[in-house]
Amino acid sequence: MAQVVFSTWGRNVVDNRNVAGEPVAASFRLPVAFDGQQPLRAFMGWDGLIVFDKDVDVPAMAAEYMQRVQTLYCCGKCTPGKKGTKVLADLLTKVVSGQAKATDLDQVADLNGLLQNCKCTLCPSSTQPILDAVTHYRADFEAYCTGSRTPKQEKYLHKITAPCMDKCPAHIDIPKYVEEIKNYQYSDALATIRENMPLPAVCGRVCPHPCETACRRKNVDDAINIMVLKRSASDYEWLHKLQHPANTVPMKNKTVGIVGAGPAGLAAAYYLALQGYRSTIYETLPEGYGGGMVAVGIPAYRMPRHLLQRDIDIIQAMGVEIVYNCRVGQDLSLAELKAKHDAVFLAPGAHRSKPMGVEGEDAGYKGFLKGGIDFLRDAYMHRPTGMGKKVVVVGGGNTAIDCVRVALREGAEASYLVYRRSRKEMPADVWEVDGADEEGVQFEFQVLPTKVLADANHQVTGVECVRMALGEPDASGRRRPEPVPGSEFVIECDTVIPAIGQDMDLSFIPPDMGIDITKWNTVVTKSLPLKDAAGKALNDSMGNPLSRTLMTDCDGVFAGGDAEIGPLTVVACVGNAHRAANVIKRWLEEGTAYLTEQEVFEDLLTYLGVYDKNEQVAWLDSADRANQQEVHGKERACKGNYSEVELGFSDSTAQAEADRCLRCYRMAMVAL
Amino acid sequence: MAHSESCDTNTTITLTIDGRDVQVPAGTTILEAARTLDITIPTLCWLEKISTTGACRVCAVHVEGVARPMTACNTPVKEGIKVTTQSPELEQIRRKTMELMLVNHPLDCPVCDAAGECDLQDTCYGLSVAKQEYSADLERLPIRYDWQLLESDPNRCILCEKCVKVCREITGVGAIETQSRGDRAVVETVSGRPLDCDFCGNCIAACPTGTLISKPFKFSGRPWTFEVKQGICGFCSSGCQIEYHVRDGKVARVTSDDSTYNNGNLCINGRFGYSAFNAAERLTTPLVRGVDGLQKPASWDAALATAVSATTEIVAKYGAKAVAGIGSPRATNEENFLFAKLITQAIGSPNLDSEARLGYAPAQAIQSRMIGMTGATQPMDALEQAGCIIVLGSDLKAESAGFGYRVIKASTKRDAKLVIASARPTSLDGFANSTLRYKAGSEGFVALGLAKAALNQNKLNAGSSEGLDGFKQSLAATSFDQIQAATGLSEAELNDAVSFISGPVAVIYGYEFMRSADSAAAVTGAVNLALLTNADLYPLDEKNNTQGMLDMGVMPADGGKDLFQIIDAVESGEIRALYVMGSDLLQLLPNRARVEAALKKLECLVVLDLFPTATAQLAHLVLPAAAAAEKAGSFTTVDNRTQRFGAAASPAGEARPDYVILGDLYARLTGGAIPSLSALQQEIVPVAKKRLERPVVAAVTPQAHAAGSMTLLIAPFLRHNGSYTSWSANNLQVAPSATLRLSPADAAKLGVAEGDKVVVTANGAQANLTVQIQPTIPAGLAVAPTHFRTAGLNSLQTKPAASLTVTVSKG
Repeated sequence: MAQVVFSTWGRNVVDNRNVAGEPVAASFRLPVAFDGQQPLRAFMGWDGLIVFDKDVDVPAMAAEYMQRVQTLYCCGKCTPGKKGTKVLADLLTKVVSGQAKATDLDQVADLNGLLQNCKCTLCPSSTQPILDAVTHYRADFEAYCTGSRTPKQEKYLHKITAPCMDKCPAHIDIPKYVEEIKNYQYSDALATIRENMPLPAVCGRVCPHPCETACRRKNVDDAINIMVLKRSASDYEWLHKLQHPANTVPMKNKTVGIVGAGPAGLAAAYYLALQGYRSTIYETLPEGYGGGMVAVGIPAYRMPRHLLQRDIDIIQAMGVEIVYNCRVGQDLSLAELKAKHDAVFLAPGAHRSKPMGVEGEDAGYKGFLKGGIDFLRDAYMHRPTGMGKKVVVVGGGNTAIDCVRVALREGAEASYLVYRRSRKEMPADVWEVDGADEEGVQFEFQVLPTKVLADANHQVTGVECVRMALGEPDASGRRRPEPVPGSEFVIECDTVIPAIGQDMDLSFIPPDMGIDITKWNTVVTKSLPLKDAAGKALNDSMGNPLSRTLMTDCDGVFAGGDAEIGPLTVVACVGNAHRAANVIKRWLEEGTAYLTEQEVFEDLLTYLGVYDKNEQVAWLDSADRANQQEVHGKERACKGNYSEVELGFSDSTAQAEADRCLRCYRMAMVAL
Repeated sequence: MAHSESCDTNTTITLTIDGRDVQVPAGTTILEAARTLDITIPTLCWLEKISTTGACRVCAVHVEGVARPMTACNTPVKEGIKVTTQSPELEQIRRKTMELMLVNHPLDCPVCDAAGECDLQDTCYGLSVAKQEYSADLERLPIRYDWQLLESDPNRCILCEKCVKVCREITGVGAIETQSRGDRAVVETVSGRPLDCDFCGNCIAACPTGTLISKPFKFSGRPWTFEVKQGICGFCSSGCQIEYHVRDGKVARVTSDDSTYNNGNLCINGRFGYSAFNAAERLTTPLVRGVDGLQKPASWDAALATAVSATTEIVAKYGAKAVAGIGSPRATNEENFLFAKLITQAIGSPNLDSEARLGYAPAQAIQSRMIGMTGATQPMDALEQAGCIIVLGSDLKAESAGFGYRVIKASTKRDAKLVIASARPTSLDGFANSTLRYKAGSEGFVALGLAKAALNQNKLNAGSSEGLDGFKQSLAATSFDQIQAATGLSEAELNDAVSFISGPVAVIYGYEFMRSADSAAAVTGAVNLALLTNADLYPLDEKNNTQGMLDMGVMPADGGKDLFQIIDAVESGEIRALYVMGSDLLQLLPNRARVEAALKKLECLVVLDLFPTATAQLAHLVLPAAAAAEKAGSFTTVDNRTQRFGAAASPAGEARPDYVILGDLYARLTGGAIPSLSALQQEIVPVAKKRLERPVVAAVTPQAHAAGSMTLLIAPFLRHNGSYTSWSANNLQVAPSATLRLSPADAAKLGVAEGDKVVVTANGAQANLTVQIQPTIPAGLAVAPTHFRTAGLNSLQTKPAASLTVTVSKG
């Protein structure tokens, strides 16, 4: 078991260098081997220094760290940052080349103090491990000063990150685009976004924005409105009729076949095109309905269709073909697809509604609809939905909320949402629930449907429900909802829509392809054998192996999106597909599907966590977060009204909101 | 204010700074709040007119309860905070920050152009930065000597980004950007190639050090050795307030203070056009044409005596109506007033007009009829309050840069929507929500189409205007199909454009409309559109005092001939003497050959000018005049702001201000005294202008005209103003000659590449031009600048219309 030799990480000093007896136990969310093979010997970053290998040359690593910060990432846009890191970097370089005096080291603390007045956090955070090193490894530094030591050749890798861009599954360079908006450079901001997000109009509107949960400004007052700023950059291009950037990369001969024109399929195609690979996307739905779950699952009042189509059109303009009305596994077999293209990317999504598990749901009653996602798709495609006048939707996620709100817009006189837990436990985004509330949706919280009721004609007449209360804490300490005896009641209705989740339909993958599928019905892809000090495999927040190449067990066939991750978010699918595109390129060019050290590093930082909710961020909380305006009143949900509810920012509001950003870049470096 | 856009500025915040309470509106920064208490906090990167940067960090202050210094310049105030601006700790932070700033800063202050006006020097001095604790390896960055008009020494740069932000936020160009990382970070062109921008030099003005300097000014003297005199820019109609830096009677540079109406913002003409004043070609002595036909230097007395005797003789022989006068949009109000008096009273001829007849004057006549006033209905700063700005037929920055800057500010910082209708690409297109690229010559239909779309989209707000019903009926008479056939604009495009109409509207109309082939319909349509949307109306002109000249009555008196009739009468021999003040008719008027032949028939042609223009070269008498910097007087902008100024420099050689020359002539002709400038100013009755309470919407039927396969549009371009700057070496450095801008499609069709020669033929005349390929130009359109004397483009014209059908062939 790898042992921590020395650490200041988290401002907590662990020093096992000269302890007699039992070393102080310390563990960090880091693998013992960087990529499963190369031992991770030391880690240096914004929060200090972690040494796992006592032979690591800390002064040399510190000097290298500072040189990289100064020459590669310091923006130069503030005096202490530009000049202070230069002075520090040159000072440390002098130290390790034996040209400095021991007293010169005193300037490190002085500069660390002075750099606290920097404009952003990159340079000040970079002085932290340096100060720690000089403080705790002073003798090693002084040995260099007296000429009694020379540096060792070591392998270092570095990675720039920020709490928000780390938390964003697509790893959009958020501080950069926010700064560009602050500087009125909307087109540049959009270009930055597009480096990692080819659906900016979409993710500027419907992203659950995990980035904002990791915004350091939250430690001062409220998070930056990162999502709406993305919308601002995206809408600027549209509202000014600016030409989107063209793809100038020469196209190569190899092609990629992609299953599904959803966020993952589109993103993979986009990034393949930008690397010179044409792809063909095979989409089940007809033309005009591209976008996958964004199109069929997110109603137009949240995501205007012409803007979704605009994003898709731009992706196609990069050199992407979409074949509509083509269901792989039916119109074209997967084997045929594989034969047609040099690589295949499976991104079919999760479009099958999960069953509710109540009495009567499989009785074929008129008015009992197949599922939330089917209802939304039919409504969107102007197909008969089978909806009546009084609608009960069962579920607590965003799809359930979309269903109750769409039901109103489809002309329902009453729209109920039934959820077995409380309002604050709903997985749906808070603002979506509030939106439904404002539109007149009636909520039944802590209510469990038990039976679908129907009349003699098999027409649904209501749902029998029972009220729930929290029981005694179970083994995990969580209090589970339990039925309250005698609380049974009936909600009269003519339509019941179960919206309790979606599942993947992977029936198009023939068993003989050698593609493995998990028990959660996701496609298995190859991963790195990352293990922590206890020997436990490192997993991501969905329980999947942390670092995956996204190639299935069938060579040349890759998988991504909901079908690989499990049903998640647009932004997660985009991030995952972007990675797949990069790996597919390597596969096409080098014949091996592997992750770069930068990609592995990216995953490790996410696992480690870049945001610290307990950090005391010193800043004056004098600029409030701006929130976008929206259309209010029940009229916004009247029959047939799919006009957008949220209105975005004016440019001046966007600029001021962007000005609140603390630009929390930081650099990590490892010694291998 | 850092956050004024999103903050409720109606709320008042109370805070304490250095123990003193102060109340300021929400959104105010600590720096601004401190200033209201006269507490000075040092700054280097702060510039009021741009967004805050927070780069230099010397404005660090302490806010109680916040465990780090906050920068006063970009931190908004908060209720109840206690701010300390002075403490030993803050002093140390500031001093050490300055020490860092000076690490490896070059010690070439003795030869640095900024010495004496260097904010870095002043701030170091103010903070007693007397030692240097820090050092780093010295890496010198290359100096950009290869830029035109500007030089950049990045080693002197403190990276305050003021230049970058002024370039992007004020002038809307974004030519320069911070590039590279760490200590090597420099302000560079985005492309890395030599600077290619508007060359307005606003970045030079913003630079707190000697990093960005003016090449023409470099090494011409220490800043403190110049006299600094206030002036009003004599180039475009924006009327920027400027400072002439003068030594030995010569203008060595032009600057403007940020506290001026124009916020210190200038264009290339304002900042660099002064080299025209110092041009070697300046007329420095009166010239009298001898019997041999050659112009020879003469004394003022002889020249004026000749003028008077020739005029008196002609009046005696043929009557006063045999004399005519052409006033000048370049000359002051006083001079134009006196010129009108000279022609109409001293000589007694009603034949008085000006080059404004080509566009601006008839447009103002239409405006007068419809709304009761000439010029803009509001001063240009009202544009900043507009919700929607509609620009009709103008490249604002080329025609009147001050308006361009205001519109950029309105659209980027004040959320105004921007609609630009122009036959050619304009410098503001990137800011527009709708760009209507119409066929040159169809301007009347464009205005009609916008009105029709606005009516259909319920965007009308015509208030108390008269004639609305009739107008609506007339709209019905023209279909969108007809409009599209004429303009090339679809109903959908027009609907999209008017969809941006919201809030207070401003309509600006310029050169392409006033010089349209169907200018009456175009101008009437522009005024209609303003009335229908209850908009402020802004007519534009390229020259500094066109509006003032008209206000001074330079137009035909009762029974008098206008410009065209004057030329006809000169041709027919009815007019025998012509006074031309500051107007190169031979370059301005269509049918150049005919005009030249006519002018040659004159018995007496008196030209007052700065330069030996083509017209001056035909003159019997050339009277050298003073430039704007060299005289006192007043100019009136197109938005009706009259601004007085004093003389800053000495006239070239023996040149005299026009009012002195005219006063002398007036005295000699009338036998009276020479009127003084102050007497003239007292005599001038200010023009009272008021919008009609019930303005008139006028029904209009634009005329469709057949266009050939290639249309030439001759229009004002960036980097020049009129023909004035074609005498300015500085402007010529970055725009040396007339080019013909073509679409890539037409260039391919003609088989020509960038830089090739082409011949443009029309009406039996030809002009030779160099090709410049511009992808944003629509096929079938060629665009050429008005500014160059040698191009002879007016030879191609038979009418004042800016656009005409031409043939272009490979040269």
